[in-house]
Amino acid sequence: MPKRSSRQLAKSGEQKSIQAELLQQQQRVELFSEVTLKIRQSLQFREILRTTVTEVQRILQADRVLIYHVLPDGTGKVISESVLPDHPKLIDLEFPEEVFPKDYQQLYAQGRVRAIADVYDPAAGLAPCLIEFVEQFDIKAKLIVPIVQTLNVHPLATVQPANRLWGLLIVHQCGDIRNWVEFELELMQQLGDQISIALSQAQLLEHLEEVVEARTAELKEVNRNLQQEINVRKQAEAALRQSEEQLRLITNALPVLIAYVDDQQRYRFNNQAYEDWLGQSPSEIDGTHLKQVWGAECYQRMQMQIETALSGQAVTYENDVVLKDGSVRSVDATYIPHVDESKTVKGFFSLTSDISDRKAIERMKDEFISVISHELRTPLTSLHSALKILATGRLGTLSNEGQQMLGIADDSTERLVRLVNNVLDLQRIESGKVVMDLQACNAANLMIQAAEAMQAMAQQHEVTLVTQTEEIIIWADADYILQTLTNLLSNAIKFSFAGGTVWLTVAYLNKPQPQNSKLKTQNSKFKTPSSKLKTQNFSFREGVRWQSQSTGLTKSKPQNSSCSEIIFRVRDEGQGIPTDQLERIFERFQQVDSSDSRKKGGTGLGLAICRKIIEQHNGKIWVESAPGRGSTFVFTLPAFNKANLK
Amino acid sequence: MGKRILIIDDEETIQTVVQFGIRMATGWEVLTAGSGEQGIQTAQTEKPDVILLDVMMPEMDGIATFKALQSHTETEQIPVILLTAKAQTADKCQFNDLGVSGVITKPFNSLNLPEQISRILHW
Repeated sequence: MPKRSSRQLAKSGEQKSIQAELLQQQQRVELFSEVTLKIRQSLQFREILRTTVTEVQRILQADRVLIYHVLPDGTGKVISESVLPDHPKLIDLEFPEEVFPKDYQQLYAQGRVRAIADVYDPAAGLAPCLIEFVEQFDIKAKLIVPIVQTLNVHPLATVQPANRLWGLLIVHQCGDIRNWVEFELELMQQLGDQISIALSQAQLLEHLEEVVEARTAELKEVNRNLQQEINVRKQAEAALRQSEEQLRLITNALPVLIAYVDDQQRYRFNNQAYEDWLGQSPSEIDGTHLKQVWGAECYQRMQMQIETALSGQAVTYENDVVLKDGSVRSVDATYIPHVDESKTVKGFFSLTSDISDRKAIERMKDEFISVISHELRTPLTSLHSALKILATGRLGTLSNEGQQMLGIADDSTERLVRLVNNVLDLQRIESGKVVMDLQACNAANLMIQAAEAMQAMAQQHEVTLVTQTEEIIIWADADYILQTLTNLLSNAIKFSFAGGTVWLTVAYLNKPQPQNSKLKTQNSKFKTPSSKLKTQNFSFREGVRWQSQSTGLTKSKPQNSSCSEIIFRVRDEGQGIPTDQLERIFERFQQVDSSDSRKKGGTGLGLAICRKIIEQHNGKIWVESAPGRGSTFVFTLPAFNKANLK
Repeated sequence: MGKRILIIDDEETIQTVVQFGIRMATGWEVLTAGSGEQGIQTAQTEKPDVILLDVMMPEMDGIATFKALQSHTETEQIPVILLTAKAQTADKCQFNDLGVSGVITKPFNSLNLPEQISRILHW
């Protein structure tokens, strides 16, 4: 049985050693779990490294455990170490490149683990310089596992991760050799892997922190910008509010209706005057349609002008409105369109002022002029007739001086008659009471009549009157055109030198003739004094009449409007008119040389009347002249068109 | 053949110059009246060939006088020419619509009146 017993003994010894080994292994696994747990509990990489070296040194009962970090230039240093007190510390010691050649690094990067029981054993294959290096620290045995870094662990990285040798986990046994067992190798290898993972996680964490930091910075920046924008907006709002308050303050102080109306014809701004006039406060009116504020009847008179403003054209007109107390006031309204950058009409600004007082004064003035003129006529008739009767000599003959005095009285009376007639004419045309009786009439007939009427005067002044007529049918009031022509001819004769010539001509305005094109450029050189006045001074009712009249004319114009206007010219060879006076002479009582003019028997109203008459015909009148070169008075009239008769 | 003219005007100077002028130019007989009422009476009794009637008169103006003349059978056939200070075409039209024979505008030369009257009445 000894064989058996010895076998049994051997067996039991084997069992015991297996049991002990198992126990040891179990203990080691527990230890290992403990280490890895400790490693995992910390996210601080430095802490992980320190725990690793301490725990490994404790478990393996080694003299020194260190973590060697490989630097990019091939050198390296110990960054964490656990060493027994009787051995020198290697921490922070920099290792030269020779002790750890590049080819070694590559081997380790691929995962090589080295266990050297005896550094002097040739089988270990340690380079002599390395043996020399370890000798100075009394190192007898070594265990080396690589710590491999997985690159590109950045969370946003798309590239496949690559491995790089980050460092080595090294165990030293000093004083004596040590045969490393499989378990120790395994443990070390696993710890190396754990450190690798921790490294990646730490990197990841670092990246995350970076990302979070960057994002935080971004958010802060965005937040700051937002805050800044909010501040800017608040300031702008405050400024806007302030300027609106100022605007309200100013507009409220004005006795004029001031409003802004949107493109839907709704009020968007009103001043205090609205409340004073209409009894409706700005807040009540705000957002309300114009028709509702003014009533249907009044709105009807505004509608056309509102539409004009909303089409982008400024418009001024007169209207009658009823106030809250029921009184009717005459107003002057101006609409200024509000056009944005893209040329869209957003609405219009409306300014309305009470012109009742002005209108009343105008009416009084008109009445006064009218009454005075009429009242003057009766004594003038007596004076005129009495002088004419005296001049017959049938009531007794006068001496030569007496005849001369009578002549002066007679001339002055006639001039007074003309003056009264002119004042009345002008007042009537200006006040809009006169409606031109437009009819088709022959320009040639009018010119001949005018020339005949002025022939005596021309002879008296020794002036030749040349009339170049053309059979052109014009659309005009014959009486008033005759008055204009005789007036202009009378002026031309009066201001001609004896022996001079006065020409009266007529032509189509835009007929393609070289002569005319030359005249056209001349025209542009001289201002047409009437053009700017055309839109002014017409009342609402009159405006409507004008409008209908002018649209009638526009409609009648053929597509090529070359023959739609007729141009009359009265040219003299007189002293001419200084350039700065060209416009002024069409104003009342404006003569180039008033003393000279009075000597010539003018009233100072003739050209003002001519201008009014031509404007009432939708024509233009102006003068082309220069001192010493004579003057040409020019006016245009619409040509007759069959459509005029409709 | 000599005509008989009645001038109705509140202004004495007008009456005088019209009288002088017409007499001097043609030798026609000129009757005068200083108001509408007086003029109507004279017209009824004298039956002139034409009445020159001033429009602007106090109390009874020319228009009222004309209407009164038209309403009397003795005077309705007598042509009436208005003398007016209103020179406008529109006013003239208004007067013609009343049924007057014509309008002569002030100021006029009384020496020319017979000629103007003859033209208006086609004498």
